[in-house]
Amino acid sequence: MKRNLSLLCSVLMMAAIMLTACGGGGGGGGAATPAASESDSKTGSEYGSAAEKKVATFIWVQEFTTLSPLYSTGWFTSITRQFWNCWAWQYDENNKPYPYLVTEIPSFENGGISEDGLVITLHLRDDIKWSDGEPITSDDFKFTWEMTIDPKNVVSSTYPYDNVVSIDTPDAQTVVMNFETPFAPWQSLWQGMVPAHILRPVFEADGTLDNAEWNNNPSVGCGPYNFAEWESGSFARFVRNDNFFNAPAKIDEIFIRFVPDDASQTAALVAGDALLGAFIPYSEAAKLKDAGITIMTQPSGYNEGLFFQVSEEFSHPAMLDVNVRKAIAMSIDFDSFNQDVNLGLVQTPGSFWDSLPFYNDPAMEPYPYDPEAAKKLLDEAGWVDSNGDGTRDKEGVEFVIQHGTTTRDVRQEFQAVAQQQLAEVGIKLEILNYDSDIFWGTYADGGPTYTGELDLQEWSDAPYGFPDPDVYYWLCSEMPNNDYPSGSNSFFLCDEELDALVQLQSTQLDPAERQKTISQINQIFHDKVYWLGIWQDPDVWAVSPKLTGVKFSGVTPFFNITEWDLTQ
Amino acid sequence: MFRYVIKRLLEGIPLLFFISLILFLLMMNVGDPIATMGGRTITRPEDRERLKRQLGLDKPIIVQYAYWLAGNDWTTVDVDGDGVPDKQGTRKGILRGDFGTSLVTKKPVTELVGERIPNTLILMVAAEVVTILFAMLLGIYSALRQYSAMDNFMTTLLFVAYSMPIFFVSLASMYVFAILFKRWGLPYLPTVGMFDPQVGKTASQILSHMVLPVFTLSVPYFAAYSRYIRGTMLEVMNQDYVRTAKSKGLPRRQVVYIHALKNAAMPIVTVVGLDLPFLLGGAVVTERIFAWPGMGRLFFDHVSRSDLPVVMGILMLVAVAVVLFQILTDVFYAWLDPRIRYD
Amino acid sequence: MTAHTPSIPQLTDDLSTPPLTLWQMGWLRFRRHKMALAGVVILILLLAFSFGGTVFYSEKEANFTDTSLRLQPPSVQHPFGTDTIGRDILARTIYGGQISLFIGIISVVIETLLGILVGALAGYYGGWVDSLLMRITEALLNIPTIFLLLVMAKFFGNEIPEIEIGGRVFSGSVIVIVVIIGATSWMYLARIVRAEFLSLKENEFVLAARATGTSNMQIIFLHILPNTFAPIIVSSTLSVANAILSEAYISFLGLGVQPPTATWGNMLDSSANYLDSAPWLWFFPGMLILLTVLSINFLGDGLRDALDPRSRTV
Repeated sequence: MKRNLSLLCSVLMMAAIMLTACGGGGGGGGAATPAASESDSKTGSEYGSAAEKKVATFIWVQEFTTLSPLYSTGWFTSITRQFWNCWAWQYDENNKPYPYLVTEIPSFENGGISEDGLVITLHLRDDIKWSDGEPITSDDFKFTWEMTIDPKNVVSSTYPYDNVVSIDTPDAQTVVMNFETPFAPWQSLWQGMVPAHILRPVFEADGTLDNAEWNNNPSVGCGPYNFAEWESGSFARFVRNDNFFNAPAKIDEIFIRFVPDDASQTAALVAGDALLGAFIPYSEAAKLKDAGITIMTQPSGYNEGLFFQVSEEFSHPAMLDVNVRKAIAMSIDFDSFNQDVNLGLVQTPGSFWDSLPFYNDPAMEPYPYDPEAAKKLLDEAGWVDSNGDGTRDKEGVEFVIQHGTTTRDVRQEFQAVAQQQLAEVGIKLEILNYDSDIFWGTYADGGPTYTGELDLQEWSDAPYGFPDPDVYYWLCSEMPNNDYPSGSNSFFLCDEELDALVQLQSTQLDPAERQKTISQINQIFHDKVYWLGIWQDPDVWAVSPKLTGVKFSGVTPFFNITEWDLTQ
Repeated sequence: MFRYVIKRLLEGIPLLFFISLILFLLMMNVGDPIATMGGRTITRPEDRERLKRQLGLDKPIIVQYAYWLAGNDWTTVDVDGDGVPDKQGTRKGILRGDFGTSLVTKKPVTELVGERIPNTLILMVAAEVVTILFAMLLGIYSALRQYSAMDNFMTTLLFVAYSMPIFFVSLASMYVFAILFKRWGLPYLPTVGMFDPQVGKTASQILSHMVLPVFTLSVPYFAAYSRYIRGTMLEVMNQDYVRTAKSKGLPRRQVVYIHALKNAAMPIVTVVGLDLPFLLGGAVVTERIFAWPGMGRLFFDHVSRSDLPVVMGILMLVAVAVVLFQILTDVFYAWLDPRIRYD
Repeated sequence: MTAHTPSIPQLTDDLSTPPLTLWQMGWLRFRRHKMALAGVVILILLLAFSFGGTVFYSEKEANFTDTSLRLQPPSVQHPFGTDTIGRDILARTIYGGQISLFIGIISVVIETLLGILVGALAGYYGGWVDSLLMRITEALLNIPTIFLLLVMAKFFGNEIPEIEIGGRVFSGSVIVIVVIIGATSWMYLARIVRAEFLSLKENEFVLAARATGTSNMQIIFLHILPNTFAPIIVSSTLSVANAILSEAYISFLGLGVQPPTATWGNMLDSSANYLDSAPWLWFFPGMLILLTVLSINFLGDGLRDALDPRSRTV
């Protein structure tokens, strides 16, 4: 009796499983049979032959959290935006801007930027429109700005729109932006538009755009593709926008698959299930190349670097001596690491602006690997091993410093190598690893980075708003303390000369003047060893030979996606 | 019995409050959700301060707990950052069914969880069914053929299966059934996700994608359970009433399956009943390896980003299910075994 | 008449051989369990490997990186191959084994102490003490272990800096992991101990002890507790296996002991991306974990059969 009961229960459970899984119907046959499914019925039936419909499958190793330009700045969200949203100006494969929604890029010469630098005027094209046919006008620009800075919207960042004091729209094709002080990084504005005609009514009804359907289901866009579908955890689809204001795209549909890790990404690419992969780690590059996949790298401003904490209050006393810092720079063999572990695919960057040759001029050279010279410098600085325990010391203080970073594999590998090489010159490196959300916890949260616990900090960073060379966290005013707990100067560094230059460069709208300021900053970084480059961190793409016409930009990666095509 | 159930339910309520408090306090200190909102770049200080205020993270812990529990629509919040509360809050709190919105994806927690629960249930229930079936078969066989060569061999094999870390089983099975089979040209099993997106969410897709994860999940468990069943079967087979049945001349099958198994299966009912609610939590490691979009993966992804509403939502869901199922199991057990009385 | 009694064959008197104690009986039964004996042998070999292997490889050698020798398959100089930055895997499994075994054993010590304390107090005193302690136990049991492990691992994070024990320096996260695993697994033992206490405290020897004025603490720890050793030993032994597996689990999710301190668990984690390209990265630590856990399980199984007083065979 009881046995029958348990048997019945099992049967019921199996039936429940079948029912939930079945959805629309049929289920027989193997993977090749396009069965009717819960999702869009087009999915299955149009895979007859590739000649009928061109679908390119891309693999993302991280799923975007939202599609809205207001609510996320994650890298995968912003690159996906390129398919269905639009920017005022795009950047080509040399990271040079060219006009996209505007007729020309504003400058002093064409009057787009006023003499005092406080007014920037955009002239919009008159043929630009949203995917539903509505024209894109200055009203959309003003609305995007208003929504970004409105406190009722919990946007991820108000930068750089919070620098714009007001926007005037004298007519539908003119946008006049007013600034309080000259704002050199203005080109990082307008990296995604929000349709006023769709969202203004939503904002007025709800009082906020946080819950708008459009955020995850953008019915209207302005890019070469339209959003079609997003199944959380599995895939997203974009289909060609036939209302696009520029030449239409050649590939009919872009299909993005989400996979959990690099190994599955490589497997999918090697098997030919996908044509494009992003953010490829170097450890996978060899496997992909062997399978005939092309690896394309595109500088996007990011370089992995060691940041030195130089503060009387928090740092180890040795770190305050510039010669000691030079010694550290010469004790680690960055080049071999890049040769062996990064498979020679990247070099050691000599400057924070390594991917901006215009600003890294004259170009800084990384310090050579010279442990003997390093030992001499340390001896001269008074750090010798007086008690024979293998670690240098001075006035009773042992030379033990902390190095902190997040838990990425390649960073941990670097830490182990650095620890050993520093031990060889008599410096003891303590290694600390944290999850990103703990590592980046603010001073208020007691995060290790912002409370002075780490003498050496490592992460990958780019000038903010690349290709704009702006930096801000070496400002004295950014030091975290009780009055300013979110301060970003985790190095507690206050160098008067550097501070003045950093403040100056963000107001210099004239590229030539700015270049001079930045090269001075560059020189200081090098001479005073405030930052050491470990490896360049370009965008790494894996492109199947079946995709042709592919070019990437470091700023707007898919700038020429309309020219991409599929071959057999 | 009715009074007993009511009493248990009432006892469960302070328990749930207590659990929620412990978990909330733990979660408050596991990292800064705002820290990673900048994506590839570091979140700017102005944004950090603004987001902290907008998400209510600048309030003291006890206030945040109160808002989570009972909402904030009975008070005003400061929306524009001038230090003066101006707008009515909009949250209702978990006691009224508002699980809040995810700090990471801005979607309501109920939506996120609702999307994932069916996927998890499909996987976990299938794994549980496979586990029970195999555990019974192997356990009974072992008990009947105690100390035979086959029994010893199987025991060793099961011990090995039981001793491997579960992800080792996943990785090894992935290696053999997907990578190696493919290399040798044999039909191979898929390893990523719940279905092949280009084909669609069909039953056959789900079934084929389910094979490896279900296998991985059930192996350590049926290894353990089968030993357990073997033990209880042996104990039962030595009882007097079984000897009586045998001496009555009943066919072996009847003796084993009807008389012995019925009683040997009772402890299993308890164990399975207590296991069931944890199925809701999914399997963190297995779902990660096979990219199965389930609750375990949801939990792990959101714990890494310190997404308190989602994590607390999942934990409380499971806790409530556990309390309910414990009561259900006790009631079921009493119904099965007439000797048990709770009053 | 003088008759002499016929000689009666002398029978050996059963009472002249001393009765076996529980432990002696246990040992006799244990000896017959061949798997358990094999388990013990394997464990001894593994302990010799991890702790004795230091004779052959110094810790410095285990941590020595040479990026030009990365990812080399097993060879004569490197019997287990090298890892992604050129460290010798054999040396790392030796030192990693020390940490993994250390974690396994110490976390079980913590767990056993906590479990006994809670279970004994709850079982002996009953009443509100029992209610309170059992509510806490239930609360923790109601949360899936892996969730609890994850949340606690993030909570304690990197609070503890490097420490030095016995000449070895390792990351403070080892202590964190030990505490976490101990703190999330004591509940099962507490329930077992409580059940034992509930049934034993009604026995006469307890009454007698109370009558002679023995204090409660003495009754709990000196009188009742020794009678509960059998299930505690079995449970603790099997918990070591669980602790080693839990450590492997958390490491696989990236929250375990932080590199460069090696453990078998975090060596498996870093091998996940090299499944087919460098199988020696996961094979050796995986096999070592498997052997350790397997032999502990055999041992535990044997102990259970040997020490269970309800079992009828000798």
